[in-house]
Amino acid sequence: MSIEVKNINKSFKSKKTDNLSVLEGINLHIDDGEFVCLLGPSGCGKTTLLRLIAGLDQPSSGEIIANGDKVDKPSGDRAVIFQQYSLFPWLTVLQNVTFGLEMTKKGSKEENIAAAERYLTSVGLIDFKDSYPHELSGGMKQRVAIIRSLLNHSPILLMDEPFSALDMQNRHKLQEQLIGVWKRFENTIVFVTHDVDEAVYLADKIVIMGKNPGRIENVVEVDMERPRKRDSQEFIALQDSIVENLDMGD
Amino acid sequence: MFDNYKNKFVPLILPICIIIFWYLITEGWGIVNPYILPGPITVCQSAWELILNGKLLTNTLDTLYKVFAGLILAAVVAIPLGILLGWYKTLEDIATLVISVLRPIPPVAWIPFSILWFGIGMFPAVFIIFMGCVFPILVYTIDGVKRTDKVLIESAQTLGASDWNVLKRVILPSTVPYIVSGLKVGIGIALMCTISAEMVGSSSGLGYMILTATSLFDPGTTVVGMLDIGLIGIIFDYIFTKIQNRIFW
Repeated sequence: MSIEVKNINKSFKSKKTDNLSVLEGINLHIDDGEFVCLLGPSGCGKTTLLRLIAGLDQPSSGEIIANGDKVDKPSGDRAVIFQQYSLFPWLTVLQNVTFGLEMTKKGSKEENIAAAERYLTSVGLIDFKDSYPHELSGGMKQRVAIIRSLLNHSPILLMDEPFSALDMQNRHKLQEQLIGVWKRFENTIVFVTHDVDEAVYLADKIVIMGKNPGRIENVVEVDMERPRKRDSQEFIALQDSIVENLDMGD
Repeated sequence: MFDNYKNKFVPLILPICIIIFWYLITEGWGIVNPYILPGPITVCQSAWELILNGKLLTNTLDTLYKVFAGLILAAVVAIPLGILLGWYKTLEDIATLVISVLRPIPPVAWIPFSILWFGIGMFPAVFIIFMGCVFPILVYTIDGVKRTDKVLIESAQTLGASDWNVLKRVILPSTVPYIVSGLKVGIGIALMCTISAEMVGSSSGLGYMILTATSLFDPGTTVVGMLDIGLIGIIFDYIFTKIQNRIFW
């Protein structure tokens, strides 16, 4: 599913300032099956843009088209994986994972459970299927959240700094697994991050954003073989050139 | 091991001291007239009599019956209403003034009207219990709905949940701990209301038993009734604490 972002402006009304402009003149095309990273400093509106694509917020002007339809509300076609842990605490891992399937009434109960168990096995979480979220580590929770969206066959995955709370080792492992599932399922992924290394490792296309007001500064196509090696010349060179141009000024 | 042993008995020290002191000033040394305060032995005799003739059991059950009727009625009204008011801001704005005015009115203040409207018997008592429980349950439920984690609601939406499913599968379970707290507070109030209600417009129950015993110069029965209410309170508290411990989110 492709995504078309057309002339998006988004401003918030606040009491102190008249109108706080968060995003201005955003135009972006995302191809079907493309892995796009939105990269920028905090306050550049990258999360806002993701929420607009999800349909969780509405733009002040402009429109977003996903697979030919105008986005005006959240949908099971565009799953969001949040920075905060978002598993339902009263459901077990297995019940969490099948939640979306129940909502969209895909498949029979037995089929769904079988599929969920298969997915959980593939990320090594099958032993935790009857555990509750509070019994899992942060990395496990995010893996379950990703599985929950994948199982729902959401053609678009919108990810808002999902790995930022994890330590480096776990973050790298999950990035690798994410690339694995993305190749298998061919989803379109929009991934928000402020970590240049993460963007270079993951993305087909890096959208570099600036702030005051939030805007797109530059779009970098990353034409690098996968799996990417963090210590390769190519990787380091690209990372350096992005860091140079990126105004992370906080 | 010694610590465990010690801790278990610590809460019992004060009650035992009170009973000894109580015994000494009444039946022991006879300082206090038994009509002003009956001694523990008189109370035990009254309790034994009331157990044998079945009055304690029937009056306790009668009171509990009213408590549950009022509480369930209040829950049936307050929980759905609370979810609605918590979810739709406009509805809450409409209702908030009425709730704020009605809430501080002590339930017993409804006694005159309850007798006018429902006569004598079980219904006026149930009505007063209802008035006592409905607001805490309502306010707790509204609060619980509002405190539902926004991320969970949005996750459900982006997993394809309809508004109805968001309400049923996310907001309701997330509100359950608050509803249980509301019920726990409600049942305490219900117990108090019942006794007051039974003292006015009733011919059965523990409140009635306490009041008639006093006018029949049977202070032992009065104390038995009071202790019975306290005991019921402890049991409910224990049950609700157990339930709360089972809710882990």
